[in-house]
Amino acid sequence: MKRRVYLDHSATTPVDPRVANAMARAVVETFGNASSVHGFGQQARAAIDRARREVAALIGAKQNEIVFTSGGTEANNLAIRGLCEASSAHGRHIITSAIEHPSVSGVCAELEKRGFEVTRLPVYGNGIVRIDDVARALRPDTVLITIMLANNEIGTIQPISEIGSLVHKKRAAGQKLWLHTDAVQAAGRLPLNVDELGCDLLTMSAHKLYAPKGIGALYVRRGVRLHGQNVGGHQERERRAGTENVPGIIAFGEAAKLAREELAQRSQHDRALRNRFEALVRERISDVVMNGDRERRLGHLSNISFRFIEGEGLLINLDLEGVAVSTGSACSSGTLEPSPVIRALGVDDELARGSIRFSFGKDNSEADVEYAIEVLARSVERLRSLSPLSVSSV
Amino acid sequence: MAYSSKFKDHLAHPRNAGELPDANAIADEKNPVCGDRLRLSLIVKDNHIEAVRFLAYGCPPTLVCGSILTELIVGTTIEEAKSLTRADLVNAAGGLPSRKQHAAALAIETLHSALANLS
Repeated sequence: MKRRVYLDHSATTPVDPRVANAMARAVVETFGNASSVHGFGQQARAAIDRARREVAALIGAKQNEIVFTSGGTEANNLAIRGLCEASSAHGRHIITSAIEHPSVSGVCAELEKRGFEVTRLPVYGNGIVRIDDVARALRPDTVLITIMLANNEIGTIQPISEIGSLVHKKRAAGQKLWLHTDAVQAAGRLPLNVDELGCDLLTMSAHKLYAPKGIGALYVRRGVRLHGQNVGGHQERERRAGTENVPGIIAFGEAAKLAREELAQRSQHDRALRNRFEALVRERISDVVMNGDRERRLGHLSNISFRFIEGEGLLINLDLEGVAVSTGSACSSGTLEPSPVIRALGVDDELARGSIRFSFGKDNSEADVEYAIEVLARSVERLRSLSPLSVSSV
Repeated sequence: MAYSSKFKDHLAHPRNAGELPDANAIADEKNPVCGDRLRLSLIVKDNHIEAVRFLAYGCPPTLVCGSILTELIVGTTIEEAKSLTRADLVNAAGGLPSRKQHAAALAIETLHSALANLS
């Protein structure tokens, strides 16, 4: 069989067999409706409570501050729209960054149409928001700052705890202002503590930490008011109506527990593979640009632009030899759509089009890195031999 | 839609890639919107396309259409080459998603330019 190497852990992770086992048992055994008063229901309720404690522990939160959702997108919708709708009497201004995930930028754009004002902060060449820009953008009517913890394409880590301190100062001075951070890429990969971050709302997604899709969570600091987006039931403390996804929640709880226990070991492993990979890329392939800050970024991810070639062609060439990666750029209907994140770094179209994200995970090995490098070097060479850009530049 | 196995084969093993130093019909066209580029160099003799090479930059359909085009036109007469349509290329590629049809248009346009530039 053809060798397959999965280097797309920022898109999703394979389900850990320990998580799959916990979930499979739950599907059969813990079928009760957690809202039911009888024993079957109470068994499900107890299992949800255990999972909630594990998810809370991953980010240093209290159990009753976790709201389970269907995933990161729903959690971001609930956080941003829910907070803005509940606090619009205090102001209608939102501060965000230019490199948010569509589930944040899309909600902000939608609120803009409904009369909110949105300030999108630049990230400069290193892909990081500047705290001075946040301070300057703050207005008396700012009610929400929503900035991601770590970027999904280039992995850059944003200064959330500094922004949190700023928010606390403003709040001490009487302003009604809250901080949300999308931690979908960071949870389970960085040690996180909501008090150190100073955030009021934090988004997580289970399938980025070796659990299945369809389950996520929003951390809601005690006392923060949200306008529910899913109504018609009392579940999740009135924040998210609907019968709980018990097997999904149990899987998330198990995955969160494993992520907390194995965090140091996993991040060391991923970082070593990523660093080895980047060193080999520099050694074997010319005309590459590594995107995003070199230090303040997630350890498992590498975003590289290959000059003279386009990302999708490289992606398919790699896929033909079993190596799975991703690109943020897309060309459709004759319209060029380079990755907005890479464009926000101020790079030219050609580099933005040639960017590829490699993201490593706990089950990757050094042999995977060696194989990926062989395939990558060959594919880049093949595509460059076809490219009028590289031929004319010789 | 997923790309066909023929499409993937052309992407992994492009035919007639490169340039012809002795070409007497050359064109280099660019899609002004997306920036995709295709360069064709042809040797035309006695009304026949004797040899052809291509270079391409852009999304996979642009690379594949370049490769397939060279296979379709080598050995044909100028008239036969000129009668080639976008649909012929798309069919030869085993189909293209609707949002990628412009790749076939760029290939046909570059072919016509090259033949118009025949010296």
